[in-house]
Amino acid sequence: MKVLVTVKEVAAVEDDFEIDGLSIDDRYLEYDLNEWDDYAVEAAVQIAEAADEDVEVVAATIGPERSEETIRMALAKGADRAVRVWDDAIADQTLLDVNAKASVFEQVVAEEEPDLVLTGVQAADDALGATGVALANRVGYQWAAVVNDLDYAAGDDVATVRRELEGGVEEITEVDLPAVLSIQTGINEPRYASLRGIRQAQQKEIAPHDLSDLGLDAETVDGALELTDMYEPESESDATIFEGGAEETATELANVLRDKGVVGE
Amino acid sequence: MHLQSDSALTDEQRAIRDAVEEFALEELRPEAQELDDAEAFPEDAWDDLAELDLTGLTVPTECGGFDADKTTYSVVNEAVAYGHLAVATALSVHCLATSCIAEFGSDEVKEEWLPEMVDGRPVGAFCLSEPGAGSNPAEMTTRAEETEDGYRITGEKQWITNGQRAGVYIVFAKTDPEDRGSITQFLVPADYDGVEVGKKEHKLGLRASDTTGMTFDGVEIPEKYRLTPEGEGLSAAFKILTGGRLGIASQAVGVAQAALDEAIAYAGEREQFGKSIGDIGSIRQKVADMATQVAASRLLCREAARQADAGEDSRVIASMAKYFASEAAVDVTNEAVQIHGGYGYMSEFDVERFYRDAKITTIYEGTSEIQKTIIARDLLD
Repeated sequence: MKVLVTVKEVAAVEDDFEIDGLSIDDRYLEYDLNEWDDYAVEAAVQIAEAADEDVEVVAATIGPERSEETIRMALAKGADRAVRVWDDAIADQTLLDVNAKASVFEQVVAEEEPDLVLTGVQAADDALGATGVALANRVGYQWAAVVNDLDYAAGDDVATVRRELEGGVEEITEVDLPAVLSIQTGINEPRYASLRGIRQAQQKEIAPHDLSDLGLDAETVDGALELTDMYEPESESDATIFEGGAEETATELANVLRDKGVVGE
Repeated sequence: MHLQSDSALTDEQRAIRDAVEEFALEELRPEAQELDDAEAFPEDAWDDLAELDLTGLTVPTECGGFDADKTTYSVVNEAVAYGHLAVATALSVHCLATSCIAEFGSDEVKEEWLPEMVDGRPVGAFCLSEPGAGSNPAEMTTRAEETEDGYRITGEKQWITNGQRAGVYIVFAKTDPEDRGSITQFLVPADYDGVEVGKKEHKLGLRASDTTGMTFDGVEIPEKYRLTPEGEGLSAAFKILTGGRLGIASQAVGVAQAALDEAIAYAGEREQFGKSIGDIGSIRQKVADMATQVAASRLLCREAARQADAGEDSRVIASMAKYFASEAAVDVTNEAVQIHGGYGYMSEFDVERFYRDAKITTIYEGTSEIQKTIIARDLLD
């Protein structure tokens, strides 16, 4: 069987950074594999490792060449190969919306014909949180979102999943394959890449595709959403941190409480 | 943040650095202070190291190991020490033991020990130092008497890393007590009669590392466990220790980098005189000095690794790296404490432990004085 895992390289900003128009300069950014995708990769690799049959784990990403270093970490953790989609038309977008991503992955699914697609619940940077379900809708697969426990053995026709609902309620659902599951953090304990895994990953394939390779044109990724502004929100209140010994800081705290009228004189 | 050009490393080396550093920071550093307090070694973390293939770092691939090039070896040692020096030391001593077996053992002995040691256990230890023979191992008194089908080993060893934890010891002993040239390398399994673990040492730093004395009281071992020909033990030890020195030097870089990073973060947070102390000239000068020392130390390590990988004689550069990086680690951790002021002297802050830990790097696997002796010998004799 085949498991497709969609993965994304996400950027995290350093503590101090500057916004320049609609973006933040590269020197303030650190790139890493999206946290949720790390759990999705682990879930896929665990299915493959526990299987009696051959299970191929394919990672699929939309990202520039730079992202290969990050995607290779997914290969080092056990994915067999990767597909990377990038195109000038994608680079031109201020924000790649859910529809655009679903259109790209729809073609990847058509090409790979996976039995199971695992995505992260959301990406840490744009946090749209809809790619998995949108993809399922496009390709006509069953789906379950925010899965925090997965009972599935390779070759089964049904996956039993536990989902996190509001208010601390959880539900257990059976999902027929083929299916798309969006994976929540905490579902497993993602491994660290081993040295041998890293060495093997250097030889694994990351196949580059542009939109025309997938039979798509530039308009496909022209989404309805546009990024119009980026700013740091004003903080509504400031925290004061007292430093020093207990006696000194207790006095300072007492003064504040008195000043604010919390306690009497 | 690492002051190291990514382009200096291959894709594989860079990925290894990032993965091991992430592991060290997330799994080793958070528990380091508690383990230091309790003088306890993290056995769980050791099993994790094995999962990452680090316990087979220097073992040939045909014995199931990773057979790392020296640059990778340096990168890994630095990254583990960035998390916790005591764990890095235990690992590098295990690697000394696997290197001895891989280099000098017969195929039978390699087959018997290395695949399991690659998987993390038995843990290896390296028994060279004695109460009366530290920098001058030729003065050792441990004796290996020939028996009918092997040797009988008797003597005391001291400051043995992994002493209690080890399942196998590499032991140096004289086959003729009168002959300084008779030092020979042996393998001694921990469960043989007469192998006694001595008292646990209490130390200034590196307190989570398991350091003990060892007594070998007439331990009978078979002939196959003589790893080197008689009399070739000391040159074998020096050969293995040249590789070991690169490991220790790289570990010193890791501790120094850790202290530098903490100092930079603290200098940005701490405010005095109405501004962050990172804006004060004297602190800025210190940080620049520290960063330069760390960068220079790392470059010496990488050059020593490059020479070794190129098949050149890297003994002198390895000694320079060990000497310079370990002294730099002591200086940098000292300044990191100074930048932290009173807080730096408190054990709640990691720099307090870095400062205590760093000191051992100028002492073990050849003191700074011995490194300078090696360097001067090459230049002057």
